[in-house]
Amino acid sequence: MMRLVFMLGKGWLLLLLLLPLTASCAPSGNLQKGEKMTVIDMIVKMDRGDYWKTIKMGAEVAAKEYNVKLNFLAPGNENNYKEQIQLMEESIARRPNAIILAASDYEALGQVTDRSSYYDIPVISMDSEVASTKVKTYVGTNNYEAGQKAAERLIELTGKQGDIGIVNFVKGARNADQREEGFLDYVARFSGITVVDIQYCGSDEELAYRLTRNMLKEHPGLDGLVSLSAESSIGAGRAVEEMDYGDKLMMIAFDNPPEMLELLQEETVQAMMVQNPFNNGYMAVAAAVKAAHGEKLEDKIPTGTKLIDLDNMLWPENQKLLFPFVK
Amino acid sequence: MTWARAISRLFRSFHFRKIQVLISMSSITITLLAVVLVSMLLFNRFSKAAEDNAYLNLGQIIEQVNANLELYVSGMQDIFNVAQEQINAASDIPDDRQLGEQLGTILNTRKDLVSIALFTKGGNLVRGVPVLPMRQNTKLTEQLWFESAIQNPGTLQFTPPHIQNLFKSDYRWVVSMSKNITYRDDSRVKQGVLVMDINFRTIDELSQRVGLGKKGYVYIIDSVGNIVYHPQQQLIYAGLKYENLEPVLNYAYGSYLDESDGEQRLITIQTVKPAGWKIVGVAYADEFLTTKKELSGFLYGFLLAAVFVVLIINLYVSAKISQPIRRLERSVQMVEKGDFGTHVYVSGAYEVEQLSKRFNLMLRRIRELMDQIIQEQEAKRKSELDVLQSQINPHFLYNTLNSVTRMAELGRNEEVVTTITSLSRFFRISLSKGNHIIPLEDELEHVRHYLIIQTIRFKNKFRYEIHAEAETMDCLTLKLILQPLVENAIHHGIEKSAEEGFIGVYAGISGEHLEIVIKDNGVGMTPESVNKLVSGKLRSEGGSGSGSGVGVNNVQERILLYYGKAYGLYFESEPEEGTTVTIKLPVVKPEIPRKEGDQ
Repeated sequence: MMRLVFMLGKGWLLLLLLLPLTASCAPSGNLQKGEKMTVIDMIVKMDRGDYWKTIKMGAEVAAKEYNVKLNFLAPGNENNYKEQIQLMEESIARRPNAIILAASDYEALGQVTDRSSYYDIPVISMDSEVASTKVKTYVGTNNYEAGQKAAERLIELTGKQGDIGIVNFVKGARNADQREEGFLDYVARFSGITVVDIQYCGSDEELAYRLTRNMLKEHPGLDGLVSLSAESSIGAGRAVEEMDYGDKLMMIAFDNPPEMLELLQEETVQAMMVQNPFNNGYMAVAAAVKAAHGEKLEDKIPTGTKLIDLDNMLWPENQKLLFPFVK
Repeated sequence: MTWARAISRLFRSFHFRKIQVLISMSSITITLLAVVLVSMLLFNRFSKAAEDNAYLNLGQIIEQVNANLELYVSGMQDIFNVAQEQINAASDIPDDRQLGEQLGTILNTRKDLVSIALFTKGGNLVRGVPVLPMRQNTKLTEQLWFESAIQNPGTLQFTPPHIQNLFKSDYRWVVSMSKNITYRDDSRVKQGVLVMDINFRTIDELSQRVGLGKKGYVYIIDSVGNIVYHPQQQLIYAGLKYENLEPVLNYAYGSYLDESDGEQRLITIQTVKPAGWKIVGVAYADEFLTTKKELSGFLYGFLLAAVFVVLIINLYVSAKISQPIRRLERSVQMVEKGDFGTHVYVSGAYEVEQLSKRFNLMLRRIRELMDQIIQEQEAKRKSELDVLQSQINPHFLYNTLNSVTRMAELGRNEEVVTTITSLSRFFRISLSKGNHIIPLEDELEHVRHYLIIQTIRFKNKFRYEIHAEAETMDCLTLKLILQPLVENAIHHGIEKSAEEGFIGVYAGISGEHLEIVIKDNGVGMTPESVNKLVSGKLRSEGGSGSGSGVGVNNVQERILLYYGKAYGLYFESEPEEGTTVTIKLPVVKPEIPRKEGDQ
């Protein structure tokens, strides 16, 4: 008994001696362990195209910086929202720390997004919003504002009188709808401007091309044309060029496929509304990391758009935006 | 409550002067001091070395990148010079077929050469390979490569990477080398700008490959701070990232610690000489200076382990030393309490073993001495007993013989015979072959003969009765204990009484004791005289010399000496009523029944 008590006494003494040591030891121990990797699933609309590749590039830069294991997932086609729902469900089953979603359909992906909150997986909406209140934040272009800016520039070019055609991409996709709405809202201020036709190409260049040809045949006196996505811009641009409408109508394109830059240099297209996909990807991952650690986020994180025309296309800061890849 | 008690006990048991505590405390203190001192020295020494090493490593990595880039750029420079020489040699640039072939060959030698072109000072194309149509709206005269060539005639200019938009081909990221040169057009000497575009991909890949830890990276700027390569170029343009270029531009090479964005970053700078670019390596201190943390972690661990090991060893060693001492102490405690039978054997340190051996020797000596004392005491007691028993007064014999003489003179032969016979029996039992212990039967026989003699002497002044239970007869008793009491009853009770006396001697077993009761109906005694009697004073007062000489206190002493304090004489006396003396003795039977012994 005496001996036991004695040992206890000794342990107590030892504890006293070691107390300052252990206290100063703790922070360095934490640093050495290193933070655990954050797992983030990024579900986008498509795994092709420079736009998505640039998003991926931005996301990967952020992943490296924030110690993130990034899973980049996409359905085969941009308007295939069912496959995207499937991807969401698989992702929820894997229980990542956060999910970044670029919803193909505003309504259809709402339910599956709500479900993720049952499992405490924060969802960041990127590029296009989704109909769910559980989303932590939206990272991407302010599409309504982008539509308005495009309309503003087009009206500067055409003047306050004229007919305008719109080539949009997926009806129901939030970003497509918002761009169109922004554009139409701005145009509505001018009584002389008439929107004569709106077509949806479903992110198909070929369809956009055919739809634009038809539009130009039906409305030969068209003064302005706006295409609201990369694919619709490529198709529409080709149609305008082939039908030799380059000088006759003013065209505003969206996004920056290299074909469009050629058309810009040849003055077939007057301006391009360029988003910042690299920043989208980067900021989305940065936001997802914060959400995964339970930090509060702003409702919307806008990444900005730029209207590129012949004058500013070769500015150094725009070159990297227009040509994100070194080939 | 129990806790409070446990704690207070803990404090009480924690003596600072305990050997175990002393040893542990002192050696832990010394070890701690030593380890801390050594750790601090090691830490400073190693962390300095590790830091130097980290800087050296970074410097070497960047140096390697620099060497590769310099090699690459100077190679391109050589090609540019070759192209320039060929243009100089040609007499008519726009139409010289041979020149076209030569430039084509140069272009083909290097895959990453995108185009070679010569422009007039007005920006019109003179000659170019590959032969491709020009794009519209190129604004080439506003481009950096054109402007700087015009502004710096005669020196080769390098631009930061930019998009080549001159020819109808892919848009490519290129680095342009340009120079203001003279050429001959239709034998006339003209001024123009020769531009050679190099695909930026090689440089980009070269820079991307450089790994400076997990988060670290390399970026390249030109001499005025334009970004040539940066992995997060877009974030910088968008204002989301910031690179502190000011100190970088001031250094040509070297390294420093940058803390501008809160994190410690090691910046290493090298200059690519031909192009005037600066390669800047950015490494994060928490990744590169890990050695410091690892080291401190290790040292803390070492400290803990050292203290732990020392503690264990201490506990063991001090226990080894102090436990035997404590055991020895406990043994001494036992001895202190009177258990001399304790045998101490304590193994352990030599000194303690010796101590325990000596202690045992001492114990044995003490035991021997004590045994000796007991033996001596025994002997002394026996001799005292002998002395006491030998105190039978010869006066009795003298008185008795006197009476016999008188009886013989009177012719009472029968009484003479009885008296002499009893006297001889009396003496035979008194002697009993020198034994102190005799059967009660003999003792009763002894007192009976004494009473026979006395009744004859006192002419039947009293009656007597002796009665003993059968099982008491063979009980052993001290001899000569009854006769003095009977003598006392006669002299102090009966003799003084006027009535006819009566003396009764009864033996019986009461409980575990043998009780012998001597009763008389004499004058009795006051309690004071009982006390005097027992203490032996009465006899000396009334020492008429007529008694047997063995006093009552003698009997008492002998019983106490032989049987212990639990036994002895008990007096009950009433004046004028008589006295009863009870002798209490243990029931002791002979080991071998007497009859068998006789046979």
